[in-house]
Amino acid sequence: MKTTLIDSSVANVANIARALRTAGGELEVTSDPIVIANAAKLVLPGVGSFIAAMQWLTENGIDHAIRDAVKRGASLLGVCVGHQLLFDVSHEMGSTRGLELVRGEVHKFDGILPIPQIGWNRVAAQGPLFDGVEDGVFYFVNSYAAVNAPDEIARADYAGPFTAAVQHDRVFGVQFHPEKSSAAGLRVLRNFIAWT
Amino acid sequence: MDVIPSLDLLGGNVVRLLRGDFANVTTYGDPATVLDSLDVPRGSRLHIVDLEASRRGHPVETDIVRRLATRELRIQAGGGIRSLDDARTWIKAGVEKVVIGTIAADAPEILRTIVDDLGAERVIAAIDVRDGIVRVGGWERDATSSLAEVLARVEELGIGEALITDISKDGAMRGPSFALYRSLRTNLRIIASGGVAAISDVVSLGRLANVSGCVIGRALLDGRVRLAEARARAATTNAIPERVIPCLDVRDGRVVKGVNFVDLRDAGDPVECAMRYEAEGADELVILDISATDANRTTALETVRRVSESLFIPLTVGGGVRTIEDFRALLRAGADRVAINTAALRNPQLIADCAREFGVQAVVLSCDAKRTGDHFEAMVRSGKESTGVAAVAWCRRAEELGTGEILLTSVDRDGTNSGYDIELLRAVTSVVKIGVIASGGAGSVEHFRDAIEAGGARAVLAASLFHDRRLSIGDVKQFLANEGIPVR
Repeated sequence: MKTTLIDSSVANVANIARALRTAGGELEVTSDPIVIANAAKLVLPGVGSFIAAMQWLTENGIDHAIRDAVKRGASLLGVCVGHQLLFDVSHEMGSTRGLELVRGEVHKFDGILPIPQIGWNRVAAQGPLFDGVEDGVFYFVNSYAAVNAPDEIARADYAGPFTAAVQHDRVFGVQFHPEKSSAAGLRVLRNFIAWT
Repeated sequence: MDVIPSLDLLGGNVVRLLRGDFANVTTYGDPATVLDSLDVPRGSRLHIVDLEASRRGHPVETDIVRRLATRELRIQAGGGIRSLDDARTWIKAGVEKVVIGTIAADAPEILRTIVDDLGAERVIAAIDVRDGIVRVGGWERDATSSLAEVLARVEELGIGEALITDISKDGAMRGPSFALYRSLRTNLRIIASGGVAAISDVVSLGRLANVSGCVIGRALLDGRVRLAEARARAATTNAIPERVIPCLDVRDGRVVKGVNFVDLRDAGDPVECAMRYEAEGADELVILDISATDANRTTALETVRRVSESLFIPLTVGGGVRTIEDFRALLRAGADRVAINTAALRNPQLIADCAREFGVQAVVLSCDAKRTGDHFEAMVRSGKESTGVAAVAWCRRAEELGTGEILLTSVDRDGTNSGYDIELLRAVTSVVKIGVIASGGAGSVEHFRDAIEAGGARAVLAASLFHDRRLSIGDVKQFLANEGIPVR
C-alpha cells in the first residue's frame, strides 16, 4: 500500500520522505487536498509553531482533507508538531484548536529542565506501532507536549511524564522524530507502513 | 536523593572554613536570617555543624539550635560529640539526629552506648576522609581505624546513614569526590558532603547507587545553587540519555585530522565514516568544515548533503558560518543544527537572528576556549587568534541570545588525549542551563565519564580517538552505562 506524505513545505519533509523510503514501500509526497482526502495511509509532519502549522492546514483545506481520509478508513501518523496537531487544543501562545482527532491538550513543559528538550529520551511503549521497540530511545525536539492523553501508547519523562505517542483507532501520533532516531525510528515507520 | 542544606556555626554565626582551616573563615551572619534567605521550607532536613564544639570536645551552639528547632525543621547536628551526655544535650535541644564523627572513628564503645540509649535511627555517622584516610578531631589528626573498618563497625551497630566528607573537596567548589563515593563498599546510605557546587553535581551524585543524600553548604550561601532547583532536579529520574558524539573535521570534501588544529592529515571519506559511526551507536554527528577558502564552502555543502542523505541521527555542522544565509544553506543541505563561532563573536546578534528564524534548537554556539592566566578566553580562527572575550561570560550571553546548546572546545586539550578540561566545563555548565557538549582532550573511557559526571556536560565529543579506532563509540557507551550514566 502506498504511503502519502503531506508536503507542508516545512524543513523536515525531505528527511521524513527519505526515512519512509528507507523503511520500505511506495511513497508519494503531496499538498493536494483531493489526493490527501483519498489517501489510504497518511503521514503528517511538522516543525515550528503549532499556530502556523494549523493555519497552513486550514488555509489549504488540508484539515478537512485529513478528516475525510480518516473517516473513509485511512490510517494517519502525525510526527512532532504533526502529532500535536491531532489533539483538541494546544496552549502554545494562547489556545488554538487542533484537528480534534485524538483527545487531549498540548502544554508547555515546566521549567526544571532546559526548554526545548533537545536530545534522546527513553520511551515506554506498547501496541503495534512500537512492535520490537517497546523500550526504545528516540530523538526529541520539543517545548510542548500532551500529558496523560487518554489515547497514550507511549510515555517518556522530561522532569515529569509526557505523552510520547498516541493511537486512537487508525490515527497515530509520535512526539519524537523517527527520521532522526536511527534504527528505532525506522522500525516505528516500518510498523506504521505495515499496519492494517 | 535528599538535598540537605548545611550550616556551619562558629561564634554564633554561620561561617564556612576553607578545607577545614580555622584560619580561613568566611562569615555569613545570623543563622535565622541565613535560613530565611535560603528559603528552607518547613519539614526540611537541616544539617548543623558546631565548629567550636569539634575543637573543644563538647556542644557549644545549643541555644542557636534550640531556636532553629522551633521552625519545624528536621535538624541533624554534630561537632564535638564525645559522650552520651553530649548526644543527649543535642537531642534535648530539639534535633532529630545526632551526627557523630570522631568517636565513630576512634571510640566504638562510646558510639555503642549512644546507639543503645538513643536508638540507631537517631544517629548518623560522620566520616571525614582525606586521601583515603579517616581524619578526626576537627580534621586535625588521623583516626586509628581505616575507612573500611569504620564503615563496617557503623553498619554492625545498626546505624543506617553515613555522612562522608572528602575534606580536600570541602568548600573548594571543584565538585564532590565521585571517585571516593564510587569506591565505597557498604550497605550504609551515604550522604555525600563536600564540594557540591552546581546542579550537575546533585544530578551526578543522584546517579551513584549508594548515595542517598547530599549536603550543600557554601554553594547555597553564595547563591550558586538554589535549594528548590536542586531538590527539583534530585526528584526527577535524571535518566535522560547523555550523548556520545563523533566529530568529523572536513576539508575539501575529505575527513582530516590534526593536533591543536594544525598538522592536518587525510583520514577518509565523510559518508563512510558517518555511516560507520551511526552503526556503532553515535547519538549525533558533528561535521566541522575547516576549509581554507570560500570557494571550498560549496564542496562543504555538497559533503553535508551527501552525509545527511545516508544518516538517520541528528547532524550538526559548523565552520565558516558568517551570515544567516550561510546558516540557511547548511540547514537546506540537510544539517539539523548549525554551529556558529567567529561570526557570533563579531556579531552576537547573529545568534538571536538565527534563533528567531530557525528556532533555538537549530542554533549551537561553538566556543573555542583557551586558558589565559586564571580564566578562559574565547578564541577564533580555529583556536589560533585571541579575542580578549572571556569564554564563560560569552557562553552565558549566548544562552540569553538564544543558542540551544554550546559546543565547548578546550584549545589547550584538543588533540592531546589527556582528558577534557573539567575546570573549563564546570565554569560553563554551572552558569548556563542549556546543554554543553564537551570537546577537546578525550583519550580514555574515564575521560568521557568525568566530562559528564564532574564537568556537567550533557554530551561528549571526540574526533581522532574514534577515527583511529582506539576506542569505539560502543566501548564508551558501555563504560558510561556501567558507571551509572544513562546512555541510549
